[in-house]
Amino acid sequence: MKDKPWYPIAYMFVVTFLFSIILIGLSSATKERVEANQQLNFEFAVLKSLPITIEKDVTSIALHALYLEKIAPPNDKSAGAYVYREGNAIKGYALPISGKGFWDTIYGVVGIASDKTTITGIYFYRQSETPGLGAEIAQEPFRKQFIGKILAETGIAFQIKPVGSILNASEVQAVTGATQTSTRLNKFLSQQLTDWRNAMSAI
Amino acid sequence: MAVATTKNESQEIILQGIWKDNPIFRQVLGICSTLAVTNLVLNTIVMCTALTFTTTLSSLTISLMRNSTPRRIRMMVQTLVIAFYVILVDIFLKAYWPEMSTSLGPYVGLIITNCIIMGRCEAYAGKYPAIPSAIDGFFMGVGYSCILLIISIIRELIGMGSILGIPMPFFSSHWDKWIIMVMPPGAFFTLALVIWMFRTFQKDEEDDKK
Repeated sequence: MKDKPWYPIAYMFVVTFLFSIILIGLSSATKERVEANQQLNFEFAVLKSLPITIEKDVTSIALHALYLEKIAPPNDKSAGAYVYREGNAIKGYALPISGKGFWDTIYGVVGIASDKTTITGIYFYRQSETPGLGAEIAQEPFRKQFIGKILAETGIAFQIKPVGSILNASEVQAVTGATQTSTRLNKFLSQQLTDWRNAMSAI
Repeated sequence: MAVATTKNESQEIILQGIWKDNPIFRQVLGICSTLAVTNLVLNTIVMCTALTFTTTLSSLTISLMRNSTPRRIRMMVQTLVIAFYVILVDIFLKAYWPEMSTSLGPYVGLIITNCIIMGRCEAYAGKYPAIPSAIDGFFMGVGYSCILLIISIIRELIGMGSILGIPMPFFSSHWDKWIIMVMPPGAFFTLALVIWMFRTFQKDEEDDKK
């Protein structure tokens, strides 16, 4: 049978079929979990960008409950930002931002206080920048700079300036040695924050 | 050829995988992933585990299938089997360790093209029984892992002053971090030095063969 011309084709077909079945089965069995993980990543980023204390070893379930308790989805008065509430009072906004990084798309969340101007934090939940260089944007030292900065009232709302520049209240320093990541991050971050500020002042 | 593997045979296979025929410094296979993932020790450990898992099981599977696989399409079958195990790893990481999955990014999928796995399937598993093939696959993976760990420890320590993300004394405080070590060029330098070093140790054995 092995010498028949159809044998290799039939063999390949059967083998491919069997292996694929197993993979499709496993992939659909874990699909929900994968999606839940991605959602949880995002929820964590939203909470981290706002002045909300998260316990150190929080479980996924507790984290999700905290998110549901504090955060409401974007409405027509928040211009695409998620709304942070304590009771009925609006305490802040979490604006999802994303754009092209050096290697891949960077996804993050910017937290803004209820005055719609003061930044309460920034958190990146998906990025593939160079470890040790561009990836430093996701690290504490870079992110810490954002806390307490304000969106400028006119012109460009927020900017990332090259290392060594004199900064005003709406600017932070770029990451040393990561020019590409910093430039690209600045491009979409300043654009999206400016757009949000304009949209919010129009409401 | 006997089906049962004697203790000596296994020892020989193990020794070959780790030292005599080490995939990195003897066969110089799988260099692409060596260069890509060795900037952090943790990434390297996961990559090595994934690779060892894949080489072991694909060698085993290919060996079990070797008598029914037509010679002409054996490479297609090998690629398919390897891809199958790699996708298993990928699904597992995505579902149960999402942070690692994002940090390794496309490199998990690229295990499929890692020459070590296919190299072992072609050179060993296609000709020998299942158990020795699995042992061969496993220890080739171990041999690969040892070298990668050495490289990644050097790179993370000199480049970022830490090991496994834990700041090391002296290196995190007094050491001027060599950023280039965590970038791709750092991998080339370190890999070349490591290969040079190990080949120097092995020189005598090579001369004996001639």
